Amino acid sequence: MSQLEVTQSTEQKWEPRILTFCCNWCSYAGADGAGTARMQYAPNARVIRVMCSGRMNPAFIIKGFLSGADIVMMLGCHFGDCHYLKGNYACNARMTLLKAYLPAIGINPERLYWAQISASEGIKFQETMNKIVKKARELGPIANELGVHAHGARQNRTVQATVEDICD
Amino acid sequence: MYYGRATDQLTQERGECGGLITATLISALEQNLVDGALIVKQGESIYDGIPFFATTKEEIAEAAGSLHCAPTLSAKAIKNYLGGARDTRIAVTCKPCDARAIIEMAKRNQINLDNVYMVGVNCGGTMPPVPAREMIRQFYEIDPDDVVKEEIAKGKLIVLTKDGQHKEVSIDSLEEEGYGRRKNCQRCEFFIPRMADIACGNWGVIGPDAGEATFVEVLTDKGQKLIDTAKAAGAITLTNAPPEGIALREKLDGIMVKMVRKSMAAQFAKFDGDNKFEKLFEQFDKCILCRNCIINCPICYCEECFTKKDFVVKKNVLPPEPMFHLTRLLHIAPSCVDCGQCEDGCPAEIPISTITHMVQTELQKTTGYVPGRSMDDPIPLAYRDDWLEV
Repeated sequence: MSQLEVTQSTEQKWEPRILTFCCNWCSYAGADGAGTARMQYAPNARVIRVMCSGRMNPAFIIKGFLSGADIVMMLGCHFGDCHYLKGNYACNARMTLLKAYLPAIGINPERLYWAQISASEGIKFQETMNKIVKKARELGPIANELGVHAHGARQNRTVQATVEDICD
Repeated sequence: MYYGRATDQLTQERGECGGLITATLISALEQNLVDGALIVKQGESIYDGIPFFATTKEEIAEAAGSLHCAPTLSAKAIKNYLGGARDTRIAVTCKPCDARAIIEMAKRNQINLDNVYMVGVNCGGTMPPVPAREMIRQFYEIDPDDVVKEEIAKGKLIVLTKDGQHKEVSIDSLEEEGYGRRKNCQRCEFFIPRMADIACGNWGVIGPDAGEATFVEVLTDKGQKLIDTAKAAGAITLTNAPPEGIALREKLDGIMVKMVRKSMAAQFAKFDGDNKFEKLFEQFDKCILCRNCIINCPICYCEECFTKKDFVVKKNVLPPEPMFHLTRLLHIAPSCVDCGQCEDGCPAEIPISTITHMVQTELQKTTGYVPGRSMDDPIPLAYRDDWLEV
């Protein structure tokens, strides 16, 4: 996730940054398949492998947004294919809740994308990636929504103080 | 549904409306149905309520009568100080928010509901003690210490003084000035605690009994047991409630719920519209990370708090990272019972419960989950056995 936090210099043109969580057994293998088949797709994604989509804590996704991701993708197995039987059902429940939670705190719910890609679906991975990058360009930078709390902006704020500072 | 009152003359006089609850609790204790009763007794003045575990008859009798300026919550007290009622059988008097919090905690295995007898009491809202004193001085022009009794009825806050004076001011006008009931009580849609074992109150008591008897709704088997015990011991008398009384009770409930919708919309409007995130964090950035909201919250029960981890929220940074508030909101909002304890405890006066409730109403559009309504509704995100069968 720290790859995301590398601040882009202001002279550079804004490029969408996409954080992708892939399940080890399906989507990560799918991404691998897309790679070995030499399929071309947009290079904006930072992929993080998780052992199961059921491992996802919704807080990871919020942390992703706060670390500067413009879109967070969660890719897991199809229902019934989960290596651990029910992990993707749990993930689905969490993503449904998050989709409702994000607009409540003022983040566009379209910035969260949850899809199911199996190990053999390299093509679907490529298509999804291109589609999402296009969407990210439409939605614009996340900093527009987070304001002073966007990554980078927050680092430069002057109001930051540590408890030690105050105690001294 | 009954009208009930205590048979004992003294209890009848000391109680708010016929002393039914006091008599029921005493007989439950004497008949060894419970080991004690968790009640709220008066402290120094009527502006001071202390949650208190009574194990003798005298202690229960002492706490008879009602307090409107005691924003306490008994649910977390059961978990923290009574071992979650695992080996103690307790009777607890509860406002709707207490009852809902107890049910939410029971769903999370923090309270053993089998050992808890919930005696629900009607609640039109509580007032914060210190602003209430100010309000009485300013709007009623009397010394707050002279007040012996207050009552909320027909949209008015009525105050009775030592020398028998009677003064009333409409709640709406008080609340426009920022006084009156607590902010979360203004948004609360639960007036009759139908999730408790029995629901008592003065709504719906008409005719010669008005003010002298209590309306009792028996809602569960446990509640029936509680009432039967008291009746068998001869501590209370019950008569069937007339249909007009029942209709009036429903009508009052309906009127109050309509009032709530209005104030709810007005309170949420502050955070609506564009730049919602920034509007929220204008408030949250006042935070000093004291964690009072977490300590007071009945829903927060994790042994190891996620927001205490350094990779989530950096230690010793003020204002705390947004992750602190966003994680807390996400954990609490689906099940928030809107008891207002977080807001009461907040030294920075952040409208936490308003924001949490606002997020909850958004989530409800998807989950449809009403927290604390019944033990049968599963918590959103709870593991479900039928996942594989779909």
